[in-house]
Amino acid sequence: MFFYYVRLALLSYRRNPVLSSLMVLAVAVGIGAYMVIFTMNYYMGGDPIPQKSEQLHHIQFDYGNPDIPNFEPPPQLTWLDATAMLEQTTAYPRTATSKFVAIIEPPGNEVRPFFVNGRGNSADFFSMFDVPFKYGSGWDRSADVNRDLVVVLSDELNERLFGGRDSTGETLVMHGMNFTVTGVMDRWQPAPKFYDVNNGSFDPVEEAYIPWELIISQELNRSGSTNCWQAPEGTGLQAFLNAECAWIQFWVELPDADARSDYSMLVDNYVAEQRSLGRMRMPVEQRLFNVNEWMIEQEVHPDETRILGALAGMLLAVCLLNTVGLLLSKFLGKAGEIGVRQALGAHRGSLFIQHLIEAGVIGAIGGVLGIGVAALGLEGIKVLIGSLMITEWMRLDLTVMALTIALAIVSTIIAGLYPIWRACNINPSVHLKSQ
Amino acid sequence: MLKMTHISKVFRTDVVETHALRDFSLHVAEGEFVTVTGPSGCGKTTFLNIAGLLETASGGQYLLDGEDVSSLNDFQRARMRNQKIGFIFQSFNLMPDLNLFDNVDVPLRYRGVNAAERKVRVERALDAVGLLSRKKHLPAQLSGGQQQRVAIARALVGEPRFLLADEPTGNLDSNTAEGVMELLHEINNNGTTIIMVTHDVVLASRSARNIQILDGRIIDDRRAQPKAA
Repeated sequence: MFFYYVRLALLSYRRNPVLSSLMVLAVAVGIGAYMVIFTMNYYMGGDPIPQKSEQLHHIQFDYGNPDIPNFEPPPQLTWLDATAMLEQTTAYPRTATSKFVAIIEPPGNEVRPFFVNGRGNSADFFSMFDVPFKYGSGWDRSADVNRDLVVVLSDELNERLFGGRDSTGETLVMHGMNFTVTGVMDRWQPAPKFYDVNNGSFDPVEEAYIPWELIISQELNRSGSTNCWQAPEGTGLQAFLNAECAWIQFWVELPDADARSDYSMLVDNYVAEQRSLGRMRMPVEQRLFNVNEWMIEQEVHPDETRILGALAGMLLAVCLLNTVGLLLSKFLGKAGEIGVRQALGAHRGSLFIQHLIEAGVIGAIGGVLGIGVAALGLEGIKVLIGSLMITEWMRLDLTVMALTIALAIVSTIIAGLYPIWRACNINPSVHLKSQ
Repeated sequence: MLKMTHISKVFRTDVVETHALRDFSLHVAEGEFVTVTGPSGCGKTTFLNIAGLLETASGGQYLLDGEDVSSLNDFQRARMRNQKIGFIFQSFNLMPDLNLFDNVDVPLRYRGVNAAERKVRVERALDAVGLLSRKKHLPAQLSGGQQQRVAIARALVGEPRFLLADEPTGNLDSNTAEGVMELLHEINNNGTTIIMVTHDVVLASRSARNIQILDGRIIDDRRAQPKAA
């Protein structure tokens, strides 16, 4: 009977094309608008590295200063602490990382020198974050220690400098120094950019990656947020490095709960040591955050999207309320047919199912149209905020499309419950005489 | 076959109570052709609706094929309608979106008959009313008389024992009405019990049994004398 009912639903659509199309439109607009916001929330609130999000941990120290009311612990580490944590002897992969900008001087005269956004990071960065490589690989820990002039390029920068060919082993001039290319990344754009949410959670990934220590030793131009709560004693780079200024993200990979416990102890010991030196005077509850904990702690998911989500939900509710009215009109208009069907042997249950399926068909058509509305909406959002953040992750994949249709069907069926109940409880004899 | 004993039907609103049937008792045997006449509002259609299980009586007992229908739930009443009763209406009540085949097919769908058997039975029913060649046509493409023939085919396709007709010729001209009546008599001759409500006393006089209703009561129950050989 299912396909029979679907056929009846399509015939019913054809009988009242304007009324039916109004319902489809109401569902499409409501679902489409909702799915635009849902898609944004889905990706913004999604797990950017699900295969490892439980193992990767960000360290946060409470540099609490009792003299400053409402002092919020900074999300980043100072140079002193990042260096100290790197020097801790553990088997766990870890990386200090921060941003820089530099000028690249391409070979020949065809391309003029240009700025790139770069990232200093430890050798473990690439394996910890499952960075995909098109050519070559990252560097090893000895390059960190030796401060080798090595670089990993993004696919785009490799295209720009070397025409997309395998450039491993070649050199490029950056910040006036010759760097050797060890690898070229494949396309990689985690959303949110979890490893550095302090400098644009949805910014594009950096174009060049070098050993983190080079930022200081070669005096590259740091970029990204810096939070100082105590003025440097003196001037110059060394005074800045020794100051209470946080500008470095620090991540460690802890494969299981035992490792987390083990590393927590190490961090606690370090903090105790620092407190004995007069630093880190506030008690803290948690210093290690896995990826998802860190996204929540740093409120990566903007409040605006929640507000928009609520608004879209209200719009969907309004559209569905309209659909309730339209369905009521449509189904009560079929009272004569319902009466005939009852006379011919249909019981209320079968009529109820027939009309549930009819509502579902309207929902399905509305859902398909809603995908188009959502796609248009997302394109509009990209135009609006495309200059503020990377938006290529905002797309309707198969999961979201299937969800759109499913939500449209379920919503319309729910909207149809009252009209269907009313229609199936009419007195058939009244309508049989007056048809 | 159909036995109503002291049936009453009361329609109530907040301010008024209408007695559509009062102390209504009737026994119709298998194979009878009964016409029901009476002025408008006398309770003819209410009687037909109760007989067809489309409405429930307010009181009394109704036995259909020996089964007390007052205890049946909606599902059981629907099944009994589907299996034992065929309906013919004054305004045909065909579904305008469905072609003739699909209109006639409806009762068999609710009975759960498989597609192959449905096809055979629907085509046979349409053939019986002379409209098989137009099975793909929509009702709007037919005349009133043809539409009523389709409605008769739909009523008969499930081979019910009991046919209820509510003014089946009311919307037809006299020639067409004559054709429909001939068809109904033919059906009755084949063993189907028919109860027909009509305003037309000439048609009523041609049935073997005529019941007159007034104010919800049977005031006359007359059987025609068998014709002399």
